[in-house]
Amino acid sequence: MNPSANNRSEQIEIDASAKWPVLVFFGSALLWLLLGGLMQLASSMQLHQPGFLASWPWTTHGRLAPAAQNALVYGWGMNAAFAFGLWLMARLSATTLRHGGWLFVAAIFWNVGLVLGLGGILGGYSTSFELLEMPRFVTFLLLAAYALVGVWGVTTFSIRNTENVYASQWYLFGAAFWFPWLYAVAQVMLFRAPVRGVLQPVVNAWYVHGLYNLWFVPVTLAAAYYFLPKLLGKSIKNYYLSPLAFWWLAIASAFAGGSRLIGAPVPVWIPTLGIVANMLLVVGVVVVGINLLGTLAGSYGAARSSLTLRFVLVSILGFFLAAALNLALSMRELAATVQFTVFDGLRDWVTFYACFSTAMFGAAYFILPRLTGKEWRSGALIKVHAGATTLGVILMVVGLAYAGWHQGNLLNEPTVPFRDVTNAMTFWFAYRTGVLGLLLVGHVAFLLNFIWISCPINSQGTAAASFRTPPALSLEGHA
Amino acid sequence: MKNGLALFLGVFATLALSWAGLLLTAHHQIGGLSQFKDPADETLYPQPTSGLANQGRLVYQDLGCVTCHTQQVRQHGFGNDLEEGRKWGERGSYARDYIRDKVVLIGRNRIGPDLRNVGVRIPEPEYFYKLLYAPESKFAGQTIAHGMPPYRFLFDVHAVAGRQPSTHAVNMGREGPGAGFEVVPTDRAVALVAYLQSLKDTYDYPTERDRNKPAPAAKEAGHH
Repeated sequence: MNPSANNRSEQIEIDASAKWPVLVFFGSALLWLLLGGLMQLASSMQLHQPGFLASWPWTTHGRLAPAAQNALVYGWGMNAAFAFGLWLMARLSATTLRHGGWLFVAAIFWNVGLVLGLGGILGGYSTSFELLEMPRFVTFLLLAAYALVGVWGVTTFSIRNTENVYASQWYLFGAAFWFPWLYAVAQVMLFRAPVRGVLQPVVNAWYVHGLYNLWFVPVTLAAAYYFLPKLLGKSIKNYYLSPLAFWWLAIASAFAGGSRLIGAPVPVWIPTLGIVANMLLVVGVVVVGINLLGTLAGSYGAARSSLTLRFVLVSILGFFLAAALNLALSMRELAATVQFTVFDGLRDWVTFYACFSTAMFGAAYFILPRLTGKEWRSGALIKVHAGATTLGVILMVVGLAYAGWHQGNLLNEPTVPFRDVTNAMTFWFAYRTGVLGLLLVGHVAFLLNFIWISCPINSQGTAAASFRTPPALSLEGHA
Repeated sequence: MKNGLALFLGVFATLALSWAGLLLTAHHQIGGLSQFKDPADETLYPQPTSGLANQGRLVYQDLGCVTCHTQQVRQHGFGNDLEEGRKWGERGSYARDYIRDKVVLIGRNRIGPDLRNVGVRIPEPEYFYKLLYAPESKFAGQTIAHGMPPYRFLFDVHAVAGRQPSTHAVNMGREGPGAGFEVVPTDRAVALVAYLQSLKDTYDYPTERDRNKPAPAAKEAGHH
């Protein structure tokens, strides 16, 4: 099942066909990462400095915070997933990415749609439904842009020149179909022909859970299943189990959305179904563990010496942590305490950042030198990025888990006045601002390196196969 | 797995099943939930909200209040929403309470207090105007809120000199702009406050009341 069976000259041809679409999607992803990060930093500051940017309606917290989240999820997350997914699909299907020009159209539509959507949120047209805040007028633009990307991915898959279909391809293929369905169904059921009453939060929870767990997680697993065997030079351990993991995760995740509504005024079977699904999910996660950790066993040394593998390793740990948080938040006793706190928010942050985003960073460190035929310019900036990301993830998870637990206990202690809860949280909101700032430093370092490597007039570095490795963190020598 | 068609059908079935099993089933169950006619006073509950309150809900949506405020009171035995001291409502929220809302925003964060019954807790509109204009100001000797951003852009501040003073002006006390100026809520502020005041689930449906009771203790259960 070694996906790298095709020979080097074929790979160079495929990479050449994917070069500009990937660079455009990834470049826009990084700009959104920076912009969304800045907005997130500002909106986080507003929680401990309530007067900050409050005098202007465009930047009031209730608009800035969802705008930041949308910029990160749809700007950084989706664009990066497009770039990585298209490239990997082409590589694994051993076929070039044809007529890439249409993908520029997709990139333009997607990003213009996002600009309009975020402008809509900041300008007062927010719908206030989580991750669907962007006003209705951009829906068509986003779906049309996505359709191009999705069709390109699926077409590349269907004209594949390989006998076997590798695990990463199932995940990419599944994600390619799940996202538009989730998005279209949510749009119809919330805005075109709105359902009544508390069905609206049910639809919203179904969509949010699906977006994170049937789009971002599958793309992450596609990366993990690809890079581990590729960079360790061995095949996935117990690979025959991987279809089981794929279907198990897909089915359990699709039904787990109701677990976000424990205690909400909805029929009680909805959260119960979600709780059961999250418990069943454990089996799928264990199988993924057998595959991935089994492959890693005995090779942790090699993983440390490769930058991409380092990020992928963080991402795999993020995947397990996200599953653990989903399970923990399905326990009624814990949910009763930490519901509505920063602990509750941690689950999506871990899924999106610790799991998905780190995988994309790792993928970018692998892909971009191969596409551009250049080396990463600055080893120091790489170190800053890797260090800031790893430290930031640890600080965020540990800090906010404790803070949320504390906040939940105060909220559920009726004798504690509400203002004391707010005062107790001020420190932790400032703490979160600090960690977000740290992560942003890493992102800036990454963006600088990206500009260096992708800029066409910078001709430094020529050979596609000769990667000189920066001293401490080596980039992989083989393609 | 080598067969693209089988993969596609499986992928399709996964989401289709979850859509039908979760969303369609829920819709079938509670999508037609109707108002309840009280047998005593022959009135339909929940009562529809006023047009002004509906406009206020749009302001609530556009300002993203849901980012920090929930609108759901959890039942006895799950959290302490009903305990004296917190008391987000007299009873937990029912699905039926929400059928009067065109857009249902139950929220995911309690950075601020729950608002589902804020209209019961705080009957005075002046409180809300002060809260929105200067959250740290005092009402009845108490600081209103900590940590909430001010929404001064929902108010017109202008000099009184040479014009008829507004009848809607709110006295902001020490937080106000000072002598010679008055603070007048804009239409958006008036609508938003009307909406906040409309948030009250006071009617207790006899059909749903038993859902709100704590589970009977095991020992007592034998006697009934």
